[in-house]
Amino acid sequence: MNEYRENCYKIDDLLATYGYVLDKKEFEGWVSLFAEEAAYNVFSMDNVERGLPLAYMMDDNKKRILDRVKVIEDVWAGTVEPYRTRHTIQRNMVMDLGSGLYEVHSNFVIAYTEASGVAGIIAMGHYEDMVQITGLSALFVSKTAFIDNTPPRYLVYPL
Amino acid sequence: MSDFEKKRASIAECFGSSADIPKEIFSDEDVYQEELERFFYGAYWHPLAHRAELTELGSFKTTWLAEVPILITRTKEDEIKAFVNSCSHRGALLEQRACGVAEEFECPYHRWLFDNKGSFCGAPGQREFRPDFKREDYGLAPLRVAEHAGLIFVTRDPLAPSLETFLGDAAPSLSDCMLDDGKLELIGYQKVIYQANWKAYIDNDPYHAPLLHAAFKLLDWQGSKGELINTDPYGHMCINYQVKHYEDNGFLNDPSAVEFHGTDDRARVVALRPVTGITKHLDTINIRFARPLGVNETEVHYAFFGHQSDSEDYREHRIRQSSNLLGPSGYISIEDAAIYNRVHATTRDGGMAHFVKGVGKPKEEWTQNDEASNTVWWEHYRQIMRFND
Repeated sequence: MNEYRENCYKIDDLLATYGYVLDKKEFEGWVSLFAEEAAYNVFSMDNVERGLPLAYMMDDNKKRILDRVKVIEDVWAGTVEPYRTRHTIQRNMVMDLGSGLYEVHSNFVIAYTEASGVAGIIAMGHYEDMVQITGLSALFVSKTAFIDNTPPRYLVYPL
Repeated sequence: MSDFEKKRASIAECFGSSADIPKEIFSDEDVYQEELERFFYGAYWHPLAHRAELTELGSFKTTWLAEVPILITRTKEDEIKAFVNSCSHRGALLEQRACGVAEEFECPYHRWLFDNKGSFCGAPGQREFRPDFKREDYGLAPLRVAEHAGLIFVTRDPLAPSLETFLGDAAPSLSDCMLDDGKLELIGYQKVIYQANWKAYIDNDPYHAPLLHAAFKLLDWQGSKGELINTDPYGHMCINYQVKHYEDNGFLNDPSAVEFHGTDDRARVVALRPVTGITKHLDTINIRFARPLGVNETEVHYAFFGHQSDSEDYREHRIRQSSNLLGPSGYISIEDAAIYNRVHATTRDGGMAHFVKGVGKPKEEWTQNDEASNTVWWEHYRQIMRFND
């Protein structure tokens, strides 16, 4: 029980750091929260409920996760309209799968503010993650965001 | 004189050519209301679904034609029907699911029942209905339906020309996008709302000069050698070219997002008026179902498809490429998305937007990157809105 509680704290730290680095647009920091072999995907609940496999973002290997950062920083900058984000993440469920692997579900609400000052909620939904805990380190083996809403603008940054 | 008529005269004064657009038309509420009547509810065909979204007999899809809710059904005789998605009694939205399978639709308000051919089937308490009640008067309001390569078009106007006439020379390119036989398989949707007028959206998507695309350095691609088709009078625009195979320049760690794995290398970009973009790029097949949400917003459902004959591996590749390349947050098309919003952001400054490149050259000499090709549609728009007199 103590180990489970301790690992829940590590998972909470990981979730908090995840939102923190994204809101600061520290994308290298974002990459560093993923394990050596990892996946990051964003799906709409509409597609998932209909059994449709298309994603908004499908970085199903670490190379694609690195490419996402490259595209944001080296290709899109200067063309896309930047916006600030504020992640609010609420852990809902942690399941111990053994060998330091945990399945973690959490809800998210991500507020955004345009350069003009217009603000709103860009995405709400939930994450379903696999987290590997080794000693003091907790890293995402996979992180999947499921969006409930139709985004009120195009998504530039990972959720 | 209506509010629109007063505006029309003043806009016409500065709308002297199809290459010089007064930006006011992108943000004026009266102009928008008039456009709904003339383009969206007038004699135009609107692609609102593909057969791949109605996979079995009895399937239905709900959607919108601008501000009109639409129910599209596939009957047991394999006919496609379209109706206003509104109970003929008191007007409640009849079906609220996005899709499903149903032979009948029951309104929850007074339990009126309709079959998927739109006929009134029955309702409780009919003995007390008004004396002039006739069941044939209370079917769902139908729309005309026509199909091309599995793409389902509707129009509210009984006087609209045939779909074939409407599509004109755009029909072959559209068939190419649907892989000729139209036997597509739905992969899924990416939905987004742009803060842009519907014309700002379609004028800049699906085609524009590649200068915008820093992302083309991923592909080492600058286009311009394709075949350009502009139809008269509607100004549908088609760009037809062969896929250029990606040569790994080391930019991406995982270049699979821009690799071509297929055998059908016909790349196609089709802009159907008034507001639908359809593309076949690399291994993606994409119909962009767009809908104005008022004068300042446009909702677009990017529907991606594969083909029913795809191997497991090829299907997987299509899914991975479709997810990351050409949707609203795709490596390439996010740059388009930014432009819709940035163009719309200045539409209240009283200024003009201009088409310059290729304007003045004979049409036969226009090339893929000439923005003169946008002006065919704008001439049509000027005439339909009577901004030309």
